[in-house]
Amino acid sequence: MQILRLLPLLILLISADRAYAHKASDGFLYLDLGANEPATLQVELALRDLALVIPLDQNRDRQVTGEELRLARPDILNYLQSHLTVLASTARCQLIARQWGLTRHSDGPYAATRFQLDCPGNALPSTLQYHALFDQDGLHRGLLQVNQDGDIRLTALTPEHRSLTLDAPTSPVWSTLVSFLYEGIIHLLIGLDHLLFLLVIMLPATLISARAPSSASDNRFLSGLRDLAAIVTAFTVAHSITLALAVFKVVTPPIAWVEIIIALSVALAALNIRWPVLGEKSWKLAFGFGLIHGFGFASVLAELTAGTTQTVAALAGFNIGVEIGQLLVLAVTFPLLYLMGQRRWYREAAVPAVLVAIIGTSLFWVAERTAAI
Amino acid sequence: MSCSKRGHTSLAGLTRQAVARAVRLAIGIGGVMAATMALATPTDIDTDFADSQVLIELPETPPLAVRPGTSRGLADQVQTLLQQARSSGDPRYLGYAMTQLQDWPESAIDHRLMILRATLNQSLHQFDQARTDLLRVLEDTPSPANYRQATLTLANLELVQGRYPAANQACQQLKRQYHDLVAQNCLAQVQARTGQPAMAYQRLQVMLRSIPSQGPGIQAWTEGTLGEIAAQLGEEVALDHWHRALDLDPNDLYTRTLATDWLIQHQRFDEALELTAGYADVDSLAVLRAIALTRLQHSREAEALIDSLKQRFEEALWRGNLLHRRDYARFLLDVTFEYLPALEQARLNWQEQREPLDTRLLLRTARAAGDTPTVGDVFTWLDRNGQTDARFGRPADEG
Repeated sequence: MQILRLLPLLILLISADRAYAHKASDGFLYLDLGANEPATLQVELALRDLALVIPLDQNRDRQVTGEELRLARPDILNYLQSHLTVLASTARCQLIARQWGLTRHSDGPYAATRFQLDCPGNALPSTLQYHALFDQDGLHRGLLQVNQDGDIRLTALTPEHRSLTLDAPTSPVWSTLVSFLYEGIIHLLIGLDHLLFLLVIMLPATLISARAPSSASDNRFLSGLRDLAAIVTAFTVAHSITLALAVFKVVTPPIAWVEIIIALSVALAALNIRWPVLGEKSWKLAFGFGLIHGFGFASVLAELTAGTTQTVAALAGFNIGVEIGQLLVLAVTFPLLYLMGQRRWYREAAVPAVLVAIIGTSLFWVAERTAAI
Repeated sequence: MSCSKRGHTSLAGLTRQAVARAVRLAIGIGGVMAATMALATPTDIDTDFADSQVLIELPETPPLAVRPGTSRGLADQVQTLLQQARSSGDPRYLGYAMTQLQDWPESAIDHRLMILRATLNQSLHQFDQARTDLLRVLEDTPSPANYRQATLTLANLELVQGRYPAANQACQQLKRQYHDLVAQNCLAQVQARTGQPAMAYQRLQVMLRSIPSQGPGIQAWTEGTLGEIAAQLGEEVALDHWHRALDLDPNDLYTRTLATDWLIQHQRFDEALELTAGYADVDSLAVLRAIALTRLQHSREAEALIDSLKQRFEEALWRGNLLHRRDYARFLLDVTFEYLPALEQARLNWQEQREPLDTRLLLRTARAAGDTPTVGDVFTWLDRNGQTDARFGRPADEG
């Protein structure tokens, strides 16, 4: 008897896999991350699926009418708000419902809501988490389409993988690196304080020609170049260290003070050429002040990296950009100054005049930046 | 001399295979990309619907929020859900069953639940997991009912995958335990696919008449099996068996699919439309209906159905599982005439399932795509099992 109790059912069941129908339960999510418009997210859940978690069918006649759907609207919105999370880095973006109504897919009507995403600091969304209906239907999927300026990507969110990181695949490491490299060059070239500092610490190397014996002009140029290389390397190593420390938030000194010290560093470096109170070794000076300048670069980089998760690539690119910018400046100015270094008027008039001008400018910056605090 | 010639041939063969594979891959990727392009824009939101408008009729769904407290209660509920999945063909019920089973602690999964889980996994094409559960039940269970059920389910699993010696072993086990129509059905299916279809048909026919009925379910199953074997033998009487099976159980979607397929193969498109009327929700029947509609030049209905099917397959590709490759391959082969992608899908399907329907599909797609080596491979496998089928054509048949 027991055999017969179980069997009739399972004979039916053994052919269960042989014909499928309809479609499985899918939620549709369309995330639009346009460059010029605010980010939007359109979410569509089948009425049939929603009926499992929200009492859509108020009068229990196994039909959902337009009126019943309108009545259930606050519940649907609540459900979506509590089963969807959009993050910009770690901060939660607000989902502001802008439009709602119906859409259709091959298996029937869906309740659709279009949200505007309001992320803290207008940052771009970086993570989307989706939890709807997984607790009811193990085969439910969140079908997510991300449209990033026409670059379209499709993914499926599953009970095992409920969240998607948005930046990484759409902006490849390589392109992050290149774009930050460009930013690094630009920032060095338009950052007058860094340029002046570079000029000041370069000047002693151009004056070598005056002190060295005149018979070995080749050696003099090479020795100037060697000094220069040491200075630039020291500056680079130093600002790379503090830049990295600041980007990874190991040390974050107040930026206003950093800016003042950077301005002061330019004045001190200039003074040190005439009165070497800080020592004659330019590379040590370059290293010491390079540490301060690194924090300055970091503040710029922090603004630029707000929309990316690829901090390492950004840091590397930016750093390399700064170096390329430095080398460009040096390649143009050093030979010029070196040639002029052989003239008396350069050593005795031009350099002191330039130094005075630089000291004046940088002290003015110090005053200005102090006043701003 | 002969050695070098052979070397040359195999090298050329290898290159050709590599090129073919690359082309297939490129076309496959192209197909997926084309599919995703169509989904690029979300549909506009309709805000203008009347309060009185009935938006949807909700299907009967058990109260999923009330979780059963006993394993017996759970088993009853899962069984109901699986039955609903089968009769409606709606995979949402499989999802509900899956959640119910997953929420139950693994240590409290008893043998009956294990059999149900195996049935679910088989439906989801997770054949290895299904087999593992069934073998465990067969090893451990003291209950003859569970043992019998696991044996039957395993026999079916092995049969579907074309592992006939294992299927035969399970059927023999059934017969030893209880020599009834169930065991006879099981054996007849295996015999028919391993070279003795005529004998299998006669024996089952005799058994059906001589053994007292064990209920309409088993009778319908037996008619379905007789229909399959008759079709394999190329006998018109197949259709009569299938109609009798469908009269007993109209929701046997697989039998309906087989019968419709047979009608289409014999160019009886009007009857195919009759048989699929009201079943456009079922992928396999919708594809066959679309073929019949196209051949009869009912272009308006065909177009709507084809659009709907395209959308369904695109979404299945997007979601990345539950793509019904058998249906998708058939759609690509007979509706959109994309032979290489069709072949790729048919081949992937045949790796999992080797029922005559799957084998015929792979042969047809391979012939359409001009892939003679694949046709040869399939016939090698058929010969090894002694399987013949009037629906397959001969190895050398073209088109």
